[in-house]
Amino acid sequence: MSSDNHDGGDSNLPDLGDAIDIVTFSQILEMDDSEDDREFSQSIVFGFFEQAEETFEKMDEALEAKNLDELSKLGHFLKGSSATLGLTKVKDSCEKIQRYGKKENEDGTPETDEELCLSRVTETMKSLRTEYSEAETTLRKFFNTPAV
Amino acid sequence: MPEGDMAVAQGSSNNSSDFVRKLYKMLEDPNYSEVVRWGDGGDSFVVLENEKFTKTILPKHFKHSNFASFVRQLNKYDFHKVRQSEENGQSPYGKEAWEFKHPAFRADAKNNLDNIRRKAPAPRKNQATEDQFSSNTQIAALSETLAATQQQVQALQDSYFEMAHANKVFVDEIMHLQKMIKAQNSVNNELVDHLGKIDHERRHARATSNHSSQFNGNNIMSDGTEEPPAELRRAREILNSVSGDHIPEKDLRQMSIQFQQIGASPDSASSSSMMGPPGSAGMQNNYIHDPMNDLRHMVYPVGQTIGIDPFAAEHMGNIPYNRPLSQNNMGPGPVPEPGPAAMPTASPPVGAPGAQSTSPWGQKKPRVLLVEDDKICSRIGSKFLAQYDCGVEVARDGLEAVNKINTNPSWFDLIFMDIVMPHLDGVSATAMIREVSPRVPIIAMTSNINQQDLEMYFHWGMRDVLAKPFTKEGMIGKLKKHLPSFLRNPHRSRFVGSDCKIRDNASAIAINKHFLAFSGAASACFAQHGAGSGGYLTAGSGGPMAMTPGGTQRPQQYAGGMIPAMSGQQMGRMPDDGPPEKRQRLYGPGPQGPYA
Repeated sequence: MSSDNHDGGDSNLPDLGDAIDIVTFSQILEMDDSEDDREFSQSIVFGFFEQAEETFEKMDEALEAKNLDELSKLGHFLKGSSATLGLTKVKDSCEKIQRYGKKENEDGTPETDEELCLSRVTETMKSLRTEYSEAETTLRKFFNTPAV
Repeated sequence: MPEGDMAVAQGSSNNSSDFVRKLYKMLEDPNYSEVVRWGDGGDSFVVLENEKFTKTILPKHFKHSNFASFVRQLNKYDFHKVRQSEENGQSPYGKEAWEFKHPAFRADAKNNLDNIRRKAPAPRKNQATEDQFSSNTQIAALSETLAATQQQVQALQDSYFEMAHANKVFVDEIMHLQKMIKAQNSVNNELVDHLGKIDHERRHARATSNHSSQFNGNNIMSDGTEEPPAELRRAREILNSVSGDHIPEKDLRQMSIQFQQIGASPDSASSSSMMGPPGSAGMQNNYIHDPMNDLRHMVYPVGQTIGIDPFAAEHMGNIPYNRPLSQNNMGPGPVPEPGPAAMPTASPPVGAPGAQSTSPWGQKKPRVLLVEDDKICSRIGSKFLAQYDCGVEVARDGLEAVNKINTNPSWFDLIFMDIVMPHLDGVSATAMIREVSPRVPIIAMTSNINQQDLEMYFHWGMRDVLAKPFTKEGMIGKLKKHLPSFLRNPHRSRFVGSDCKIRDNASAIAINKHFLAFSGAASACFAQHGAGSGGYLTAGSGGPMAMTPGGTQRPQQYAGGMIPAMSGQQMGRMPDDGPPEKRQRLYGPGPQGPYA
């Protein structure tokens, strides 16, 4: 596996592409008993998959109901776990949804146009799903191949 | 009475008392001279015949016949009884005479009557000045009490309506149950009848089959008939008529959900999102049997389970909801408990003594409570802590955390507290924990690091902030910083250790007296917190998250240089735990504060 790593000098870190912040993610990997036994990190990651799918469903429902408040909360919720795992892009999109749901622009200034907020959330959710499945593919691949 | 007062009063006085005028008028009547008259000098008056005076003159002029009351009245107007002089041993007017005197009450000075006024009661006069002195604080205290009371009334009202509703549901349910029981009874009767019949038939069949085999056909027919006996059919009909989805049952279920969510108040009904957080099915079960369930008095917007953001506009002014009430209840202040850091009473939760060679901790390992609603984060966090040889417990929201602390206030040595959580947010939970456990370090875990938020965290008793997403280094850094006395080798973080002693004292004082003043260095110290966490954040995730623009740039700048710089000035560290009221005021204009 390539050990190209722009974040730091640790050449033992696996390359998981730019969907995943390797420094953050490797902290989870360090919690595993060994590099051959990824039980902990794998259960965490797969738990996150479940959580993300559930949250997406709820986001869809909330979007349908035009419930911005709920969308903001869901965005905040998924932001926490995605950030902790180092899924930077997913986290960024969640944060945007949180903001738009709060009727704010991306820079935090208030936005009164609810329809605009909703359409922004809709757009962001599209990219969120793309980013998520990209990260999911990478991670599933990572756990299926023995870590070197 | 001071003359000055009278002189002042004179100008505005047409309100001299009737009593004095009546008195003067009475003395003008020469018919009474045997009973009551002016004294010989004209500067006093004398009641010569006490009994006659009481019976005839008092009723006529004062509409009563009570001499004692008359004397009391005189005293009120500052008349004095003239004592009989010692030398003579006798009054010039006779033994029974009562002579009264007032400097302004003279036979030749009718105009002066206005100067005779009722004395102001002396004690009340004092009070009045005191009142003036402290009226402002009293008004403040009163309005606080009023606000608290109003809140309480509101809460009581809410819970009254809930209970009234519950009562109705219970009555409905009882009625239904009674109906069921009645139905069951008749079903039982039918069954007994039926069994009796069968029994009878069987005996009959047995008896007859002995005599003749041609009855067998009949017998088989009665046994194998497809048609159920009438009694059983009736029983089934009765049961069918009472079962099924009836309304009270639904209401009861609804109520039990409400109970689990700790009394959804009318306010929270508006936030109608009842969705559970992903992956947290069944997490509400914990509250059903919990005595802390009765947190209903908080008027807190519960019922939304995704997470309560204390900074959301609808909560912002109210966080934490129960605070005014509990502040009043605090009375003389929390009993100082032995600090968790200072007294290793309980046994370590994890780690055998043999493990000490690798453990960073000394004799006692710290017990850490991790309050986090996100399963992923709490699993990772507790793993980090467990690997660092801490005892870890997890609470999935603020309410669970408060319950744990209430069960044993001094059990945990440190608390990591998420902010946005269902049921009870981290800020409100901290405020509640502070009532029973004023000293345990509570560290906010949050991605919202802006000035306003930080103010709130510290205001309600949080001691530090750990930026989210948290890292192992970040968590361990906070542990070392706040639990230096637990370290096996405290030398490594010496300055932090000495700092902590100051901090503990400071916080004890701060919590007992909420208004201790602190030095302006608060801002610098405060800034260091933010910077520290920001630093972890940046290192950990490669990019800052949800932080204010100001907060993200500076950390790198300060993370290295600032901590040593701070260690030299003790005062700079004190406000770490000082009353947040002061801190928030101070850190704004602080010269070094990156958030300023």
